[in-house]
Amino acid sequence: MTRFWNDMKKYYDYEIRAAKSELKTEVANSYLNWIWWVLDPLFTMVIYYLIFGVVFQAKELYFTTFLFIGQTMWAFFNKNVVQSVKMIKRNKSIVARVYIPKFVLLVSNMMINAFKMAISWMIVVIMMIATRVPLSSHLLCFIPIMIVMTMVTFAVSINLMHFGVFVEDLGNVINIVMKLLLYMTGIFYSIETRLGPKHPLAAKIILHGNPMALLITDMRNVLLYDKAPHWIWLLIWAMISIFFSVIGIKTIYKNENTYVKVI
Amino acid sequence: MGNKKKNKTKVMKNTENGNDNNNNNKQTTTEDIAIEVKDLWIGYKDIQAYSIKKSLLKLKKAHVEEFQAVRGVSYTVKRGEILGIIGKNGSGKSTMLKALAGIFCADQGTIELKGHSVSLLSIGVGFQMEITGRENILLSGMLLGFSEEEIRGKMPEIIEFAELGKFIDKPVKTYSSGMYSKLAFSITAVLQTEIMLIDEVLSVGDAKFKKKSYRKMKELISNKDRTVVIVSHNEQTLLELCDRVMWMHDGEIKRIGDPKEVLDEYAEFMK
Repeated sequence: MTRFWNDMKKYYDYEIRAAKSELKTEVANSYLNWIWWVLDPLFTMVIYYLIFGVVFQAKELYFTTFLFIGQTMWAFFNKNVVQSVKMIKRNKSIVARVYIPKFVLLVSNMMINAFKMAISWMIVVIMMIATRVPLSSHLLCFIPIMIVMTMVTFAVSINLMHFGVFVEDLGNVINIVMKLLLYMTGIFYSIETRLGPKHPLAAKIILHGNPMALLITDMRNVLLYDKAPHWIWLLIWAMISIFFSVIGIKTIYKNENTYVKVI
Repeated sequence: MGNKKKNKTKVMKNTENGNDNNNNNKQTTTEDIAIEVKDLWIGYKDIQAYSIKKSLLKLKKAHVEEFQAVRGVSYTVKRGEILGIIGKNGSGKSTMLKALAGIFCADQGTIELKGHSVSLLSIGVGFQMEITGRENILLSGMLLGFSEEEIRGKMPEIIEFAELGKFIDKPVKTYSSGMYSKLAFSITAVLQTEIMLIDEVLSVGDAKFKKKSYRKMKELISNKDRTVVIVSHNEQTLLELCDRVMWMHDGEIKRIGDPKEVLDEYAEFMK
């Protein structure tokens, strides 16, 4: 693990620079440039709102903001996980020619997605002000929840990055899993109030067993409804993430020099 | 800089192969050895990507092709020495170079670089088309393992060598292919490590720049503190540059020694 921290320090500058160039590249290729980073989450939310707010008559308080928070967090998790599967193959030109610790590619990519998520959060703030959400001390819980989310995302992605090299069609499997998970995470409904009364057990299992459901529910609670997060479960998921991150990092270090033979 | 990772894998019992070729460098003292390779085996077996779909359709396990690219090779390179490697296609030259650079892992045997920094000379690693030449120098340099200050320190030299003028602050996608390779070459030529691994001696650009880059390569290679391993098919280049030449055949060392002798024998063999 000391090697991990050393490499992390050594390649930190590269990660930032690579992420920046990637973002610049994205901007340079499109007509509306960075406006897409705002439009993309905004339109996704509009679609969800039309379907679940208008058609299904969702009754949650501050429903648009509620949706947007879920969408913001889910987008970060989803993009990182899906992209991690093909991470090594996508960077073949680098991997086959120089040695770099492979997690560097992952971290750099997470930075890109984190930047896009930050823009989304700014929209959330604007929406919270516009809809007059009362401020509370629970807002501070934003930070620990974000930290746990980053840890969970890293733990999942780093392990998938490894298996993505050796299992050709893992990408297809992950796409299906992520679709299922999308509905089990409660992006457009509240697990506690929609599922809770009728199926208390199912709600509990989803809320505690699916870290993204827990994180999104807690984030909405602290930002919109002045409720405390499930501290114990956040802690449990943080520990699980550390455990799997360590396993992932060790596996990658052990195997990273065989990757180039496979891709 | 580069990766200072010592590529060390467990040594397994396998003594018979490859060791008899290099008795002539046993006498060198340990201090001035830059690269020490012992009984190196690298194979491409059993690492085909697994597919869930395929394994569902075919329950029988697919036959795994075994291919040993490098078979029990041992040799040492002294500090400041220039070693050339020659051999026909598929004889394991490039594979071994990649193993020295730390990109491949060895299946058996050890590679010791005695703490020297190493890099495989490759041009244009990590280039992004949409950002400027200047930014690409930083990006590519960092990927090669140099720190930002080091690169910034050498930036003027790189820019001057690349002869790009104003274009250095334009996105790389606006470059002609010649300009692209000039920039890529200049980065690798200026940012250099103690051990340099070269897969084919490069000369890029127009006739003038070709000469200039070849001269630069020669200058880099002949630096007496720099240990160099060159893989090439060009016998003339090897004869001109190398202190010793190694002839690889089917993953084994066929001959190693004086460039003239080895190259003559190789030429005879290839007829």
